[in-house]
Amino acid sequence: MLFFKPLAGIVIVLALVITQGCAFSRGTLGEDIRSESVAAIKKDTTTKAELLSLLGAPDRLLQVNGRDVFQYYRYDAKVGSLLLILINFSRLSIKSDDLFVILNRDGIVEDVILSKRTDGLEFRFWPFGE
Amino acid sequence: MKLPLSGLCPILLSTVMCVTFVGCNIVRITLNTPLTQNDVAFIIPGQTTLADVITKLGTPDSITDSHTGVVATYRFLDMKYSKINFGWMLKLWSPVDVDLIISRTGLGIDAFELLCDSNWVVTHQSFLRHLSSPRFNPYPF
Repeated sequence: MLFFKPLAGIVIVLALVITQGCAFSRGTLGEDIRSESVAAIKKDTTTKAELLSLLGAPDRLLQVNGRDVFQYYRYDAKVGSLLLILINFSRLSIKSDDLFVILNRDGIVEDVILSKRTDGLEFRFWPFGE
Repeated sequence: MKLPLSGLCPILLSTVMCVTFVGCNIVRITLNTPLTQNDVAFIIPGQTTLADVITKLGTPDSITDSHTGVVATYRFLDMKYSKINFGWMLKLWSPVDVDLIISRTGLGIDAFELLCDSNWVVTHQSFLRHLSSPRFNPYPF
C-alpha cells in the first residue's frame, strides 16, 4: 500500500502541471419568459391588447391556419472549456425557450404553448458522448 | 522510495499519448437536443395532434403556414470540431511560432418537420436530411 502514496502524489502534480485552466462563458438572446406572465394569460378570455401589455411585442408575428400567432423566444448558450497544455476540450450548448400564443380572428387568445428547454442547460466540458 | 515499474507505466503511457497529441483542440457545439427516429416513433400520421407532439418534444422552433396546413419545424445541430497543431512541439526550440495544423469540422445540421391539417392533426412527418452524427476526426484529406 505504501507505493500508492508517491504514485498518487505524482499523478496530482502531473494533473496540476498539465491543467492550465478552465473557462466558463454564457450568452443570452432575448428576455426571460416569465412563468407568472404566461400564467396570467387565460384561454378564450385574454385579448390581444392584454397580451401585449403582459409580454410586450412578439419576436415574430405569424399567420397560421387563419389565425395570428405571437412567438416569443429566448436563447441561452453556455460554454465550458477545459484548457490543458497539450489538449483543450470545449463544449457549447445552446437551447431556447419558446412561447407561442395563438389568437383567433376576434383577437382573443385561443391557445398558449410554452416550453422551457433552458431550465436543464448546464455547463459541460466533455465533448464526447451525449 | 522507488516506485515499482508497474506504477510508472500508466504515467509514462499517458505522457507519451499527450506528447503525441500536442496542440489538440476538441470542440463540440449542440443546438437544442438532437432528435432521433426513436424520439418521434410515437407520432402516427392521421391520429397524433400537434398538441401531443408538443407535450413530448416541447414547442417547435418555428410554425409556418402552407397551402395544405401548418408546418412545425424542430431544428437541431450537433457540430464536432477537432484540430491538431503539430507545430506546437517546435515551440520548445524555435524562437518563432510555427504551425502545422490539420483540422476538420463536422456539421450535423438537421430538422424534423411536421405537416398538420387545419385541425392540427399531423398528416406527414419527416427528418430533413437523415444525417448520421459526425465524428471527431481531424484528418481533412
